[in-house]
Amino acid sequence: MTIADASNPLSNPTIAEKKLFDRCRAMRATNSRTSAFGLFAETGLPHRRMEQWKWTDIRAALTNLETPSIDLAKQTVEVPEGACVLIFDGVAWKLPETLPEGVSAHRQSDATPLKTIEGLPLGQLTASMTGQDSSSDFVSIEISGKVEQPIFLDFASAPAETAFARLAFNILPDCSVRLIEAHSGNAAFSSTLIEFRVQNGASVDRTFVQRASTAQSVGITATAVLEEKASFVQTALGFGGKACRVETHVRFEGAEAHAELNSAYLAGDDHHIDFTSHVTHAAPSCTTRQLTKGAVSKGGRGVFQGKFLVPRSIGQFTDADMQHQALLLEDGAEVFAKPELEIYADDVECAHGNTSGQLDEAALFYMRQRGIPAVEARALLTEAFIVEALQTAHEAVRDQMIDEARNFLRAEG
Amino acid sequence: MLNLQNLHATVGEGDEAKPIINGLSLEVPAGEVHAIMGPNGAGKSTLSYVLTGREGYEVTEGSATLEGEDLLSMEPEERAAKGLFLSFQYPIEIPGVPVMTFVRTAMNAQRKLRGEDEISAPEFIKKAREVGAALNINAEMLKRPLNVGFSGGEKKRLEIFQMMMLEPRFAILDETDSGLDIDALKTVADGVNVLRRSDRGMLVITHYQRLLDYIRPDRVHVLAKGRIVASGGPDLALRLEKEGYDGVLGEPA
Repeated sequence: MTIADASNPLSNPTIAEKKLFDRCRAMRATNSRTSAFGLFAETGLPHRRMEQWKWTDIRAALTNLETPSIDLAKQTVEVPEGACVLIFDGVAWKLPETLPEGVSAHRQSDATPLKTIEGLPLGQLTASMTGQDSSSDFVSIEISGKVEQPIFLDFASAPAETAFARLAFNILPDCSVRLIEAHSGNAAFSSTLIEFRVQNGASVDRTFVQRASTAQSVGITATAVLEEKASFVQTALGFGGKACRVETHVRFEGAEAHAELNSAYLAGDDHHIDFTSHVTHAAPSCTTRQLTKGAVSKGGRGVFQGKFLVPRSIGQFTDADMQHQALLLEDGAEVFAKPELEIYADDVECAHGNTSGQLDEAALFYMRQRGIPAVEARALLTEAFIVEALQTAHEAVRDQMIDEARNFLRAEG
Repeated sequence: MLNLQNLHATVGEGDEAKPIINGLSLEVPAGEVHAIMGPNGAGKSTLSYVLTGREGYEVTEGSATLEGEDLLSMEPEERAAKGLFLSFQYPIEIPGVPVMTFVRTAMNAQRKLRGEDEISAPEFIKKAREVGAALNINAEMLKRPLNVGFSGGEKKRLEIFQMMMLEPRFAILDETDSGLDIDALKTVADGVNVLRRSDRGMLVITHYQRLLDYIRPDRVHVLAKGRIVASGGPDLALRLEKEGYDGVLGEPA
């Protein structure tokens, strides 16, 4: 089969889809690339008629895939001292000359399709667009020790139509790694795929900040497979963009593993941010804790889709909790939420909560009576609300993230 | 100091607006503490919200000035910066904002509005420690989010703590005695008495005479149906306690 065959399902492609198809065809054709592109082409760019994408229409956002003309890069977080920095410039990963002990990196020069039963169209697209001979845009990283210093992934692409990056982490038994990621850059559409295999007793701690302008669309896709007693802790702060989807799929494959997914989103005017997650408890006695907090201004749009799937018998003794709380800061702010628990095992503890509302007027008056101006009072209350979801962030950047949130709230007031 | 002339105010929006304050006149000179007593529904809490500028409380007639400045044209935070403080009958919980952070933010916001420099961190902490000690509030309590999970008595003590920290020119205490046991009442009253000064005025709103045993007012006013219907010295409070509002006012209030 050729790329052209693989793209057959793409009837009536958009300009952006044609460009992606042409780009893929220009790469060296391999079976796996063809297969990855074929999986993407089954749906094409995800759009609102797909149930999982009904609130985040990437196809519509990318109608004209053009290089942004101005420098859009916004600061996210500073590199903490001593961090090992990996930069993705939009084309290739730039690795430091020496990696910390317990870290080894290997360039991958083929596209490996994403093995997943759940559809991840942006993940498959990124898989088909990376692993080129000419540039190291797909790197696999093995962690074979307890790596203390944070690995800082700086997604800072030059102005371009697209930026596709892929990383695959394999964390060996009882090893650990902590990641800090800054997702910004200047591509009109950037899509990142990070896979984690967390082996027995190993742990991953991931903190990231996403920022983009209203001319940029972003996909940040991650999959994590957790083996026995493994741990995966993720803390994210997202400001959205034209259309921005942060999608995380966790699958427990060994008993007594633990996952935490904490996210905060702040969407200003014309910004769209979507946090979607899918946790499959395919092993007994695993725990998941998920807290998502959002605040949205006029013209902003926040989306939360969370799903816990607990299959029959293998998911026994699951303990999982999902909370989503959103604040609509002004009239004209929008929040869409779909929390789902799909439970087939009979001895489990699963809970979820979902609220959206406005700031407490009584609290605002109380603060103003003490002399705190309305804008400041709103910002302070909102910040206190948001910060709860950032408690698990890497300590080297947590305060920076809180500052970022504060600056946003002061500016939006 | 505080001067209210023929004040009329409504509560609620649009067609729902109900007149609650009906021609209230009152003057509290600097250095004096006045008490306002009155039956339920007389408009006591409404008066405190009207003076501090809460949304939904609209003045339809009359004036309210503090040291000659028109309060009614100011935003709530401007009134606070001018030195107006309200100890709330029901203090509000502020989740996620520790007491210390809250009070320091308030203090510096007021200073900024007045064009003054911010208080330094060590100076603020020293002051908070001193005031806390006087009110039996320990450092651990000051680190917790304001009023969240605090008992009724603790919340009232924290109101007085804020008042002592912010040192307002004019303080309104709205039923600060409600929900307090006798020891807490004494602690709160001591705090208030410490603040009595020749250039500061206070208005103490209460149901019962009990608080006035500890905070001796210069004048007592009886509020009924949205206006002052009787005024007198501290004895008036004692008479109210004995004879009830009906007895003193000579008719059902």
